[in-house]
Amino acid sequence: MLSDTYLPIALFAVLALAVPALVFWLSRYFRPIQVDECQKTTYECGEEPIGEAQIQFHFQYYMFAIIFVAFDLVSIFIILWTLVFSDIGEIAKAMVVTFLAILMLGVTYALKKEETLWI
Amino acid sequence: MNLWDVSYAISKFLMDIVNFIFSGILGLIPDPVGSFFEGIGSWSVSAGVVNFITMLLEALIIIIVALLNVIILIWIERKILARIMDSRGPFYVGPIGFFQNIADGAKLFVKQIIIPRKVDKFGYQIAPLIFVGSSFLILSVIPLSPGFAVTDSNGLTIPGGILFAFAVFAIAPFSILVAGWSENNKYTLIGGMRSAAQMMSYEIPMLLTVASVFLLVGSFEFSDVVSAQQNIWFGIPLFLGLIVFIACMIAEVERIPFDLPEAEAELVEGWTTEYCGMRFGFFMFTEYMRGYAGCGIATLLFLGGWLGPDFIPDEIWFLIKAYIVFLVFIFIRGALPRIRTDQILDLGWKRLLPLAVLNLLIAVAIKAAGWI
Repeated sequence: MLSDTYLPIALFAVLALAVPALVFWLSRYFRPIQVDECQKTTYECGEEPIGEAQIQFHFQYYMFAIIFVAFDLVSIFIILWTLVFSDIGEIAKAMVVTFLAILMLGVTYALKKEETLWI
Repeated sequence: MNLWDVSYAISKFLMDIVNFIFSGILGLIPDPVGSFFEGIGSWSVSAGVVNFITMLLEALIIIIVALLNVIILIWIERKILARIMDSRGPFYVGPIGFFQNIADGAKLFVKQIIIPRKVDKFGYQIAPLIFVGSSFLILSVIPLSPGFAVTDSNGLTIPGGILFAFAVFAIAPFSILVAGWSENNKYTLIGGMRSAAQMMSYEIPMLLTVASVFLLVGSFEFSDVVSAQQNIWFGIPLFLGLIVFIACMIAEVERIPFDLPEAEAELVEGWTTEYCGMRFGFFMFTEYMRGYAGCGIATLLFLGGWLGPDFIPDEIWFLIKAYIVFLVFIFIRGALPRIRTDQILDLGWKRLLPLAVLNLLIAVAIKAAGWI
């Protein structure tokens, strides 16, 4: 049964989360506590921080993000295809290779186009 | 060595003691209370409870073995990196500085924790737990030998172990992004965003390289992959794949030259800037734990895992190979400078991805020709 098979992993996950939680909690009884308002400022190499940091961040790899989402799905297809590789016919093998070739063409095109888009 | 048998013996012994205390000693109390304690005693030696304790013990033993290995790896890295930089490395604490890491850990354990006023408390507290917990969880599916792995009561390892390992590996960038955002600091925000960019660049080539191994084996389990390498290690026909995998694994565990999220020369300490005390210590430690897990996976997939001549035990063969892969990591760290965000995206998509696809086609050719 599925729950029987994965029970050791579930227990391991509980233990894996418990170890850091326990250590963080235990260190509470050993560390000093000195309250000082100056400590609680945001660290910026000694300067007064200007403005908030939780802003709309301009991340410049929009095109990569798009092709990453597409390729993440493709890699799932390919992994499943590799698992059953010896059981499927020649046409099915050739089709996935063709699919991969078309995708590589798409990636090449997207990256060529992206070079002018990079800001 | 069979981990399940050893843990089962220990757990049986412990539960027998519990049974003796409850049924043998507390059971002597007059009846309503005594029979209640006897019930607890006989429940504690039932099969379900003993199996449960055995699984916990297995997890504990694997975590302890990994912690010891990681402490040794950190020491090796500090020594060798120091030699590369023409200095001596740690040598005050213990014989040739062997206990320096433990001293550092003890120092971080008693450090004061400062939580800045502006942080988002929930994200700040939960991100270290996700990062450290998920990194520990990777170890659950990495076998040191056929016996030394997390198994269920039938002695079977977890099906789909390799997929599970990579799925858990991929959780960490998410927690880094959460930490970087909730710390409300410009350095940490940039570090978190860089981590996302880095994840986009290495994930696909790595999965395609692993797919080439799946193609030769036809299974998702580490034990099948290793036993398929009896004749030849996959690192030899798939040499290209091994190189791509090592490069991606260095990016995955965030070591130089791919440690963009915590580039200490540009971003103070990257996404860990606002963390201090034991949280920071655990981040540093976890990085090496991920390195150890990554070396282990590279060993199992490409370097024949625990296979080797019989005069050395299986587990030791595995550790020797994993340590050699880690030595490669250390020399790369000592030799190369850090690269930029756009360079890592270019490297991932314009160099590693075509190489990974080429490697997959080589694997297809080998499989179609029937050589493996």
